[in-house]
Amino acid sequence: MIAIQLREKASQVESRLVYWHGIAAIVTLFISILFGLLASIEMAAPGSIGTAAWLSWGRLRYDHTQGIMLGWLANAFFAFLYHAVPLLSGRPVTSVRLGQWLFGLWNFAIVLPGWVLVLAGFSQPLEWAEFPLAIDAFVVIALLLAVIQFLPPFFARGLEDLYVSSWYVIGGLVFTLLAYPMGNFVPELVPGARGAAFSGLWIHDAVGLFVTPLALAVIYYVIPAATGRPIYSHFLSMLGFWLLFFLYPLNGTHHYVFSVIPMSAQIGAILASSLLGVDVIIVVANLLLSARGSGWFSRDLGLRFVVTSTWLYLIVSLQGSLQAQMSINRSVHFTDWVVGHSHLAMLGFASFAAAGGIIHVWQRIPGARFNAKLVNHAYWLLLAGVLMMVVDLTIAGLVEARAWQSGAPWMDSVRAAGPYWSIRMWSFIPIGGGFGSLLAGLLTGERELRAA
Amino acid sequence: MRRFLRMSYLAAAVGGIGFFVMSVLLLGVWPGRALDEQIRQTTPPHPLALSASEQRGRTVYAREGCAYCHTQQIRYLKRDVDRFGKATLAWETIFDYPHLWGTRRIGPDLSRESSVRSEDWQLSHLYAPRSLVRDSVMPDFPWLFDGAPDRPRQEVRDLLAYLETLGRDRELAGPEGEAHAKAAHDLSADEKEFAFGTGPLNASAAMPRRKGKYPALAISQDLRRGEELYARDCASCHGARGAGDGPGASGLRPRPANFTEHEYALDRASQVLWNGVAGTAMAGWRDLPSADLSAIAAVVRGFHAGQAEPQLPTDVLELGGRVYAEHCVQCHGDTGAGDGSAADQFPVAPANFQTARPSIAASLRVLRNGVEGTPMAPWSEKLSEGELSAVAYFVRGFYR
Repeated sequence: MIAIQLREKASQVESRLVYWHGIAAIVTLFISILFGLLASIEMAAPGSIGTAAWLSWGRLRYDHTQGIMLGWLANAFFAFLYHAVPLLSGRPVTSVRLGQWLFGLWNFAIVLPGWVLVLAGFSQPLEWAEFPLAIDAFVVIALLLAVIQFLPPFFARGLEDLYVSSWYVIGGLVFTLLAYPMGNFVPELVPGARGAAFSGLWIHDAVGLFVTPLALAVIYYVIPAATGRPIYSHFLSMLGFWLLFFLYPLNGTHHYVFSVIPMSAQIGAILASSLLGVDVIIVVANLLLSARGSGWFSRDLGLRFVVTSTWLYLIVSLQGSLQAQMSINRSVHFTDWVVGHSHLAMLGFASFAAAGGIIHVWQRIPGARFNAKLVNHAYWLLLAGVLMMVVDLTIAGLVEARAWQSGAPWMDSVRAAGPYWSIRMWSFIPIGGGFGSLLAGLLTGERELRAA
Repeated sequence: MRRFLRMSYLAAAVGGIGFFVMSVLLLGVWPGRALDEQIRQTTPPHPLALSASEQRGRTVYAREGCAYCHTQQIRYLKRDVDRFGKATLAWETIFDYPHLWGTRRIGPDLSRESSVRSEDWQLSHLYAPRSLVRDSVMPDFPWLFDGAPDRPRQEVRDLLAYLETLGRDRELAGPEGEAHAKAAHDLSADEKEFAFGTGPLNASAAMPRRKGKYPALAISQDLRRGEELYARDCASCHGARGAGDGPGASGLRPRPANFTEHEYALDRASQVLWNGVAGTAMAGWRDLPSADLSAIAAVVRGFHAGQAEPQLPTDVLELGGRVYAEHCVQCHGDTGAGDGSAADQFPVAPANFQTARPSIAASLRVLRNGVEGTPMAPWSEKLSEGELSAVAYFVRGFYR
């Protein structure tokens, strides 16, 4: 067991970069939510927001998920890394100037033009890879910059006791640097079923090897930092890490079960998906045991967010293992069940971790404001919103599956899903209200004077 | 070992790089080689690559996110095959850069969309989907048109050309190609049935068939159900009161049938509801239960307001008979069944007067103007007013 080594060197934390990325995270989050909201309105009340090309469902749908991943989550994780990496490694990040370039590149050469290009009709029809190829080139450059920015502090020290958060940061950034070009470029060069095998990998890698490791890095960091106690078991941390990095990449083909991709690859991916459930139980048990008895719910808002994220991680992962099984997959694949699953992952697990990370680091930026009451409201609204949407879409998925199974006309399944699409649209109220409350909580209230 | 595990380099090298390479080899490269081999053995001799226009259409399809609601991948599952046709084979996807398989089905799978719908239907549907399918949630794509469904821009023509390629190569493979691929495939018996079976009746339920057996519908008394279904599935084109003037009618050639001025035999309603009308936008509705089809047939037949039979002198009838024998019989047949000697060469079958009796006014309009979208030409310059009236009256006599 290794105690987290927090060094009291606030001067090494680039607070301005934390602040910029934090603000960019929330601004891009609202824009991404707006894309999602408009897309959901178009499904609940088709034709109600006009018929301009740039407002059409397909383009909004592309921008929604790209914005959530590259705008909101990536910025939130960068904000966290600028705070955590110096404290974890005892060294500053590579360069402030590099950080300014990374910030500018990420937001003004990737997210913003990516959105605009998609709306203008330049995109790529691949899941989690919708921004056009020109943007992808910038993403690869930026990911390389991120590796150069955040990893050398860890390498340079050659620490004896590298904390588990650091492992996730290192593994996640290196893996994503490699997986991103694979997911975005290979299907353009390798056609059809063969390309789909690579797409399947990237669909899972985007969530499993980019978002998940960084979210876990946040959770592993915030729990000990906020409770002042070491993590429950360093051995379980290590076991969880290695199993995760071994198993997650092997999940990809479970997106194409019953397809023409060789059955052995499908079965391997399903097996890996099942084992993944076991791994997540290990990771989550370690995290929850670390938080147990700390009064995590009332002690600290950042802590409350990340522990809730841990619970959501458990649920979404076990659901994932379940729906990869052929008996379940044959029914729920292609339905809203899966859309519910991805919202549980990205809006539930990942967003709660990202928000927890921002809340944690925000309170440690000298001079930043913080309004605990509003952040508390944000917590409840977001929890209500994510549950409302996920439960609704899960039921919708079962309804659709039943309609398809019955052999009734296709439109029957669309009609049956209609009420659920309306409820999904209305879930915007708690979700939008929750994030609005979070933003207000970060911009109002007392100025924080304490520093990490 | 403990020291080894502590190295940050290990996380980068094994976690970041090693496991990435492993996953790409195991789930990307290796299945790719198996697929390559399968494609090599099963591809028919001359699969058609996409033309320039079809390729541009594919770009429009990709750009507008079509693949995010419509999959292009029929799984090896009974429920998929029953609904959409034969399961997707690897060689069918060799021109897909990048693939458009999709992971969500809000609308139907489009792997076998080629020739399921007529061009006018597709264009009207892309222009304003709910003008044809009342409860659809598909977006409108008016920016692909110059203000009307029958004024398509090049982009939507390309898109349509692309849609017509979906499943085309599989059709063109023919029985020989299918047998060859079936023999070369290493699949379980179930999977072979999914991939190569003849397919159930309802796969592509909407695809119209020129001929084909159809069940005789019963006379239905359930007008309430019929009206509900008519409003849901038929009124978009045929109009709320059956006058062929629904919101979707304007872009269709030929125009949707006007039920108020035709008397339909139940047999005709049975045939059309089951098979659709080949060469027109009228789809088959084979996926509806036959009780529902009967209820719809009752409503459709009920739109015809009983008209008093005009009493005309015998010589008019004789004149009509002579005109018919001279000018109409080649297409519409000796007995008015639409089965004349030339009938088979037309994209749309000639009218069958035995099963649908037009009003005089309707016939006169058709005789004077012809029918857009069919080979029926205007006759007003070749025949006198008297002759037109006579033949319009005469054809009513074929009805049984």
